[in-house]
Amino acid sequence: MPALTDRAWSPYFAGVLIGLLQIPAFLLLETALGTSSAYVTAGDSLAALLEPGIRGIDYAARHLSGAKNWWQVAVVVGIALGALLSARLSGTRRHGVSPVWARAIGSTGPARRFAMAFGAGFIMLLGARIADGCTSGHGISGMAQLAVGSIVAVCAMFAGGIATAFLFRRV
Amino acid sequence: MSVLTAILLGLAMGTVFGLALEKSRVFEPGVILGQMQLRNFTMLKIFLTAVVTGLLVLAVLNGLDLTRLFPKPALYGADLIGGALLGVGIALAGACPGTVAAQIGAGYRDAWYTLAGGLLGAVAFSYAEPVLNPLLLSGGPGRITLANVTGAPFWVLALGFASLLVAGLVALERWRPWRGELGAAADGLLPLPAPYPVVNAVAAE
Repeated sequence: MPALTDRAWSPYFAGVLIGLLQIPAFLLLETALGTSSAYVTAGDSLAALLEPGIRGIDYAARHLSGAKNWWQVAVVVGIALGALLSARLSGTRRHGVSPVWARAIGSTGPARRFAMAFGAGFIMLLGARIADGCTSGHGISGMAQLAVGSIVAVCAMFAGGIATAFLFRRV
Repeated sequence: MSVLTAILLGLAMGTVFGLALEKSRVFEPGVILGQMQLRNFTMLKIFLTAVVTGLLVLAVLNGLDLTRLFPKPALYGADLIGGALLGVGIALAGACPGTVAAQIGAGYRDAWYTLAGGLLGAVAFSYAEPVLNPLLLSGGPGRITLANVTGAPFWVLALGFASLLVAGLVALERWRPWRGELGAAADGLLPLPAPYPVVNAVAAE
């Protein structure tokens, strides 16, 4: 039986656990599991502090308030808390950057990796918002509903990801 | 539901999600990059298992009329362009929008920069949305699922699709047992094939 102090769980056990989260999502929230629109709610809320005019954009206004939007922000915050808890219980807390980056882009200082991560985050969320979903919303939830658009988006996502990853050195 | 209740529920669900992402090691950039280089299949195993579980859950809940489905509208141009950009971002970040948070929780420093870039990307999209909407984000066939396309009941298709995926997962596990893909430090980094480090060392000089 998997324990909280284990360093690793079977991917199948973890996958079932994630899939079961659809039960409260559909029955209590009347929505499917997702994470990327939380970036709109959080990002636009921060932007509105500097530039209140963003509230006049219909898309932003739709994401700034309401239980479902803030539920999703809470899910993303909860993910960080859950991972922190899990890593502390098993003694696998991480520091700095993953050693995979030294393999993928050559050993360089963290500054280059931080700049790369910032650009990556920008592209990732721009793409997720154009597609209207990410690995969670289109992937885990869209595929589970056999949504036609989600199946297309997931294929495009893996195609883009694989094409980019092969530009790196072999990890 | 009040916003406060929704937030508490979200925190509880997110904690379970984060625990599963950390324990399964799929939040590791090494696992995600390894998947995209078709060298480590941990991400696909978790992803497809979560899809199978979701299919079974929804086959029951929707089959018994306890919930309707909430599929996103099919917009093929946006799904293709946005999906491909998302994939490029995932490979460069070594993370998805959800696993960024797990990386922050686990302690990776660069994940804070991915998060900041992601927030800026989401704000940039909000400003661009009124322009993109008529070009990419409207029209299309609507919120269609394979059940709408084929006319078959959703639960029948969901059970059939889930069976196919389970067969695929069984084959995947036989080919690549999951314990063999963890890596010595549980970060998904697997030993490089023998001749490769030499080639790398030469290339680095």
